[in-house]
Amino acid sequence: MKALILVGGFGTRLRPLTLSVPKPLVEFANKPMILHQIEALKAIGVTEVVLAINYQPEIMLNFLKEFERKLNIKITCSRETEPLGTAGPLALAREILIDDCGEPFFVLNSDVICDYPFEEMIRFHKSHGGEASLTVTKVDEPSKYGVVVMEETTGKVEKFVEKPKLFVGNKINAGVYLLNPSVLDRIELRPTSIEKEIFPSIAAEEKLYAMVLHGFWMDIGQPKDYITGLRFYLDSLRKKCSSKLAVGSNVIGNVLVDESAVIGDGCLIGPDVAIGPGCVIEAGVRLSRCTVMRGVRVKKHACISSGIVGWHSTVGRWARLENMTILGEDVHLCDEVYSNGGIVLPHKEIKSNILKPEIVM
Amino acid sequence: MGSSDERVVAVIMVGGPTKGTRFRPLSLNIPKPLFPLAGQPMVHHPISACKRIPNLAQIYLIGFYEEREFALYVSSISNELKVPVRYLREDKPHGSAGGLYNFRDLIMEDNPSHIFLLNCDVCCSFPLPEMLVAHRRYGGIGTILVIKVSPESANEFGELVADPSTNELLHYTEKPETFVSDRINCGVYVFTPDIFTAIQGVSSQRKERANLRRMSSFEALQSATRSLPTDFVRLDQDILSPLAGKKQLYTYETMDFWEQIKTPGMSLKCSALYLAQFRFTSPHLLATGDGAKTAAIIGDVFVHPSAKVHPTAKIGPNVSISANARIGPGVRLISCIVLDDVEVKENAVVIHAIVGWKSSIGRWSRVQGEGDYNAKLGITILGEAVTVEDEVVVVNSIVLPNKTLN
Repeated sequence: MKALILVGGFGTRLRPLTLSVPKPLVEFANKPMILHQIEALKAIGVTEVVLAINYQPEIMLNFLKEFERKLNIKITCSRETEPLGTAGPLALAREILIDDCGEPFFVLNSDVICDYPFEEMIRFHKSHGGEASLTVTKVDEPSKYGVVVMEETTGKVEKFVEKPKLFVGNKINAGVYLLNPSVLDRIELRPTSIEKEIFPSIAAEEKLYAMVLHGFWMDIGQPKDYITGLRFYLDSLRKKCSSKLAVGSNVIGNVLVDESAVIGDGCLIGPDVAIGPGCVIEAGVRLSRCTVMRGVRVKKHACISSGIVGWHSTVGRWARLENMTILGEDVHLCDEVYSNGGIVLPHKEIKSNILKPEIVM
Repeated sequence: MGSSDERVVAVIMVGGPTKGTRFRPLSLNIPKPLFPLAGQPMVHHPISACKRIPNLAQIYLIGFYEEREFALYVSSISNELKVPVRYLREDKPHGSAGGLYNFRDLIMEDNPSHIFLLNCDVCCSFPLPEMLVAHRRYGGIGTILVIKVSPESANEFGELVADPSTNELLHYTEKPETFVSDRINCGVYVFTPDIFTAIQGVSSQRKERANLRRMSSFEALQSATRSLPTDFVRLDQDILSPLAGKKQLYTYETMDFWEQIKTPGMSLKCSALYLAQFRFTSPHLLATGDGAKTAAIIGDVFVHPSAKVHPTAKIGPNVSISANARIGPGVRLISCIVLDDVEVKENAVVIHAIVGWKSSIGRWSRVQGEGDYNAKLGITILGEAVTVEDEVVVVNSIVLPNKTLN
């Protein structure tokens, strides 16, 4: 089986992290975002994954070779020379996706984190016999998104309504699809939207079906959702494989700590914290609802209550980070500094307080 | 040059509860003169300065607080400094000079040759013995302590013009709209007993004018002179201004620091000034520590002997910790006043703030101000018994007593 992951462009919403590293390689719960998806695909027997990218594949290639080797799965890059939208890249990768068996292939949006119910999707797709299956997830505020209007029992999709003013349904497109190769015949090699052009035409022929996701779902393409997504992910991890989570008297709730990280005395870590490889958390530190990337040092008595600390940064003694503070790579917060929602670009030293959310260049 | 019979009396004006409302919320719990700066009540600083005056016979505190508010303090400070201190309550406001006049019999009991008059809410080095020497040399009825300030800020005060060679006071005006001078009145004076005659003169003059009763419509509009009672005499407008240029009043200039303690923010700044002064006058009062067996101390810090500070805390600069306070492990205090019975729990941070009596600061919480002493919300003030729960951040706020922040 094959799969295509829509990686897209610069990942500007996840800056400053994506100023240092291409978005698919930004770690989520101590693992590059794209690896979560590739591992899940490998687990159900996908043999080849195409990454549809429209910039900087060179940086990715080394990592991809390593993943290929470790997972024993083929990974290729399909480079868009102009942004092709959410459907165009499929046309570009046509030759790889179509194989002789005529099997359907998966398409994933690279920002989506969920339980990846690929096996359930395969069964669902076979049972309805349609041309394409998509997943949907229930949200509280459907008007923020595009709503999928569908028949409750069969899942047959009637139409898509973008940001509806009146309530038409509470299921939105979850960004994970299973498509028959014939779908590729509908897509021209030009900027095309799968939601606006391709799916509606399949739905009109009553060949599009939607499967409701029952587990957690999050689009982690922006920091606020990244942090919420971590909470859902760690929650799910506790149910599936809780031995991976940290335990101890200094741990509250779900906490993921890389085995090479070091935590000092008198700390209180959690809930919903991920600490990456080589991190040093000194004594008396409080971490909650945050991610600390590889090689970060958090000095004594500091407190981080919501935020992301980029690779190899340092947080000074008695510093305080909160309200979605994001530190890019190699940022050094001096002792006693306070950041309320600061967004700090890479390779910077912060000596004075950031009192209200702002971008510090 | 004075004989050993020449006794000196000092009078410190302390105001009352309706005065100094800018000092709330701290003054909701304690009379402003008793609020601690650098670990000692505000009024303690002028009182100890008075002790340096040769032949000091008596110190009077004059104000219109209830007697009981000062009773305890006055008896303990008298014992401690071995000089009689007495609190005199005005039954009604008499103005800055009228208050002095009101108690003239008591003040003159010791037959003093000189009388010092100080305002309690002034923060300075109080060079009183030097002022007395200068005053004797000048031979006038009074000498006023002055300081040079920036021309932009001068109009917040009383501006004085003095003769550069004789130091005689030539002109005095209170808060003028246009620029008069960059020398201002510090609120510290020394007088001979003739001052009472001068005050009485103003009082009788006012009585006479009231009796004349020939009010033109123009005078009717001058409500200032009309509504003042005859025994309400202001030192600046009624005494200093008219006597300027008559070879009666002189000035003595100080080159040290001077501030007015009108707001809580200023009390933090003045606490720093007095702590810095302790380094020269009483270094034994300042805390020391290198973080090994005792907490690390940076800059000028006062820690009350009964307070407990964990060795892993880092304190200073400019910190004053009052009685029975408990500072927990890993705490960081910078530029703050921590009042009695406060508990600061582990790893908390307090910067540019005043933490009220019995308050509790939770673990990893952060209480901070920007550090602008003059701005209304430039420092954070927690009133009495405020609880800041674990990990809460309080920035540039004034919190009234008994509030819980979570």
